[in-house]
Amino acid sequence: MTRLLPPLSRDKAHMLMLLGACLLVLLPHLLHVSGTIAGGVLGLMGWRGWIVFSGRRLPPRWLLMPVALAAMAGIWSSFHTFFGRDAGVAMLTFLLVLKLLEMHARRDMFVVLYLSFFLLLTSFFYSQTIGTAVLMTCALVALLTAHIGFQYAGVVPPLKRRVRLPLTIVSLALPLMLVLFFLFPRIQGPLWGLPGDANSGRSGLSESMSPGTISDLALSDDIAFRAKFIDPVPPQPQLYWRAAVLGHYDGRSWTANAARSLPAEAIQIARGSAPTRYDITMEPTGRHWLYALDVPLIAPSVPGQRITRSNTFELLTRQPISERLRYEVASWPSASLQTTADPNDIDEALQRPVGFNPATTAFAQQLLQQSSDSTTLIDLVLHYFRHEPFRYTLEPPLLGRDSVDDFLFTTRAGFCEHYAGAFVFLMRELGIPARVVTGYQGGALNPVDGYFEVRQSDAHAWAEVWLEQRGWVRIDPTAAVAPDRIEHTVGLRKPRGLLGGLIGFTPSQGAWLPLLRLNLDALANSWNQWVLGYSPTRQKSLIGSLGFGDVDWTTLTLLMFGCGSAVMALTMIPLLLRRTPMAPIDRIYLRFCNRMARHGLVRGLDEGPRALRDRIARDNRLVTAKKNAAVGFLERYEALQYGTVLTPANNTALTQLKALLAACR
Amino acid sequence: MFAHCKNLLLRSADRWLFRLNGAESGEVFLHQRRVFIVPSGAGWGFVAMLAILFIGSINYNLNLGFAFTFLLAACAVVDMHLTFRNLAHLHLVAGRTSAVFCGDVAQFEVHLINRRKHDRFALWLGFVGLPVASITQVADVAAQSATSVTLSTVSTVRGWLPAPRIRLTTQFPLGLLRAWSYWQPDVRVLVYPQPELRAPALPMAGTREQGSGPAGHDDFAGIRAYQVGDAMRHLAWRHIARLDPAIGGALVTKQFDGGATQELRIDFAALPGSLHLEHKLSRMTRWVLDAEAIGAPYAFCLGTLQLAADCGVTQQSRCLQALAEFSTASDTGLTTR
Repeated sequence: MTRLLPPLSRDKAHMLMLLGACLLVLLPHLLHVSGTIAGGVLGLMGWRGWIVFSGRRLPPRWLLMPVALAAMAGIWSSFHTFFGRDAGVAMLTFLLVLKLLEMHARRDMFVVLYLSFFLLLTSFFYSQTIGTAVLMTCALVALLTAHIGFQYAGVVPPLKRRVRLPLTIVSLALPLMLVLFFLFPRIQGPLWGLPGDANSGRSGLSESMSPGTISDLALSDDIAFRAKFIDPVPPQPQLYWRAAVLGHYDGRSWTANAARSLPAEAIQIARGSAPTRYDITMEPTGRHWLYALDVPLIAPSVPGQRITRSNTFELLTRQPISERLRYEVASWPSASLQTTADPNDIDEALQRPVGFNPATTAFAQQLLQQSSDSTTLIDLVLHYFRHEPFRYTLEPPLLGRDSVDDFLFTTRAGFCEHYAGAFVFLMRELGIPARVVTGYQGGALNPVDGYFEVRQSDAHAWAEVWLEQRGWVRIDPTAAVAPDRIEHTVGLRKPRGLLGGLIGFTPSQGAWLPLLRLNLDALANSWNQWVLGYSPTRQKSLIGSLGFGDVDWTTLTLLMFGCGSAVMALTMIPLLLRRTPMAPIDRIYLRFCNRMARHGLVRGLDEGPRALRDRIARDNRLVTAKKNAAVGFLERYEALQYGTVLTPANNTALTQLKALLAACR
Repeated sequence: MFAHCKNLLLRSADRWLFRLNGAESGEVFLHQRRVFIVPSGAGWGFVAMLAILFIGSINYNLNLGFAFTFLLAACAVVDMHLTFRNLAHLHLVAGRTSAVFCGDVAQFEVHLINRRKHDRFALWLGFVGLPVASITQVADVAAQSATSVTLSTVSTVRGWLPAPRIRLTTQFPLGLLRAWSYWQPDVRVLVYPQPELRAPALPMAGTREQGSGPAGHDDFAGIRAYQVGDAMRHLAWRHIARLDPAIGGALVTKQFDGGATQELRIDFAALPGSLHLEHKLSRMTRWVLDAEAIGAPYAFCLGTLQLAADCGVTQQSRCLQALAEFSTASDTGLTTR
């Protein structure tokens, strides 16, 4: 095992191949670690490459020790710890590079290989897209190619044929991998507490709303969640996806009140119509809200999460949502909510900070002189929004301390959070209980897979007011200003990058670019559904739906071994049994010999057809007819195989042989 | 007692599990039952690594991590089949052997025949069960072709040396598993006795006393191999110059006849009784070689074998074979002395 690697002369190409493969492995990590560490890693790789090119010896241990210590110091200065996810990954990258500088025995090759595998796995921390999967498969093939290069002992085939072997291995392994992936009994993680940095860097609706929070999201094209409707899809203007209800205003931002879950009978719900049922697959947010169409009345059940429906009809999880979540939920789009409201709710819905926005207060007094009816007042306010020169823009001017005053009377330009916030504040000044609801509005149906895609750019904020007899009623002041925003999903898309800004990207019907985008999104969705969202629960339901009833891990294991063996047999048997086909004449001769052996005339290893013929002719175990046939067979065979006259072993000759063979049965 | 039981157990395991049933003649086919496979040390390391990758995937909920772990595991399974395939279904034939003098390296040629459509790489062959570890040889066998490998072992005893058991091992392609098979080819090498290093000069007839009987100096009769003590002026420099000793030539001495033709007789019985049996055989071997070197006809007498004076390859090989095979059991009358 400890055979020394021969000097680099022959292995130069192998070593360069290995370095290339390692670079491919390190690539995703280099983009995610700090500049110092990336520089260090690249420098060491360069050093190793130079050693290969110049054919020098590997550095001695006394030189590597300080380098390793410097690497440790670099990690410490970057992370102030050696534990945790990111520091661990940085340690692994240095370990790999230093091991490359310290490869002396064959065993070290395996260490490099295994370290690379660890690094490949850790790169899934950053991304688990199809692209990453493809890149990692390429890296795996490159690694195996380099590794196999060192396994040749004599002849080394050219690179083109060398690559074929790992490609074969990986492609033959794919079917078995699929079986294992779908059938290996899964355990719900995590097994131990995750470090704090495990779920960093997720975007989505934030816990509060202030001018700018939602317009930031409007620039993001990421998918927030996908919905698959079981019942008919409600019309686009009704697609209000509710997330959080923000009732508390401090003059600058809106935040949620403490959620109370009221007993079911305290909330009186008039169900106006049949519910709309749908599945939602939401991306991890790190927050507590689930998304659901206005208005979810019953909390869905999700295994491993306890979900409650709050008094403001939010769906709240106990743990932050750290992984992709799939649930089925039902909504009543035209339900009337809480016609007799809780006084606490009303109090909360009238709260406003003292000493802010005096102009708005004056405006409210002015409106109150015109009417005291809530509905009329709301109409007056919406009329104001519609007929004053309000603009709907992604880049509103900055607002001062009295932000509602500035917005309503000076700038008159803003995004949905400006409208919703100002509207709710104005309602409260008018004595109408009101609150802000954030979530998403609209979404687009992907015709490829039938999923409704809702993106971060669909983030929206609207208002709810409480009216006597009617309960909580949704009012979207943005719709008053920019009805397009609600009617069509593609009302206001941000300009896409440089080119998009110059050319103006407007998707039109039948254009290939949007079509490609839809296909890619559908692909990404099935990837999410089947690869990334494949949880223990999904596994259970999938196997259960195949007719295995209640699935426990023993069934799964048996199923896995059964399918695995079948798949392995199907892929490997052709490889193992592929032999050179025997010439037809040889096959017939073999059958003849076997037949004679059954009659007690076993052909000796050194016995030719003529010697055998003589022996058969002298033997008296066979009846004469059979004996003659056997002798005739051997004469014919000898003539065909060894005859001086070149007789082609064509079909006629073979048929004759077969006839004689049949005759000596 | 325990050691005895263990030995018995090991031997029956050898017979039953590894199918070690003595030498096999002719072409041997390595069918699947004869090829064994276990994970190598690196393979166990791989298993441990897979376990860590799996736990990591569970803990961080990395579904692509699961996929990657399973892909690696599946690669190892495929590798198992490929390693097995690299060795199994190989045809083995033992090649020719040639006799050696005791102490020299006995060489066994084996032919590996690959009748399949896939190349085989990095097959390691070596003898097992020898007191001294022998050097393993590596061979590649391309598809539909054959390769010859020469395995060697040092001969220590004169007589017939059967080929030791051969172990064929391979870890190709990934080195995670080790497949091996045993094969005992039915070939043997004849080991002649070692020629005595400082043997006395050839025993010419009439000069029966041991060690004496120097050759004459008058007429040039031929050449013979150099022996320690030959005078420098008697070296056949012209012959030596034809073949450089550095590349395999040997020093030769000119041989002179002392006038009358002398009969050369190599007789076991004529050797002094004080010598050990092997010593006697060793000296006779040397004399046969020397006589052949000068081309002098010699009579040979060993036990029951009586050969008239002759010279040439046949005579030499008959004599040397008799010397190699000479056994005390068959010629008791001679050994009692």
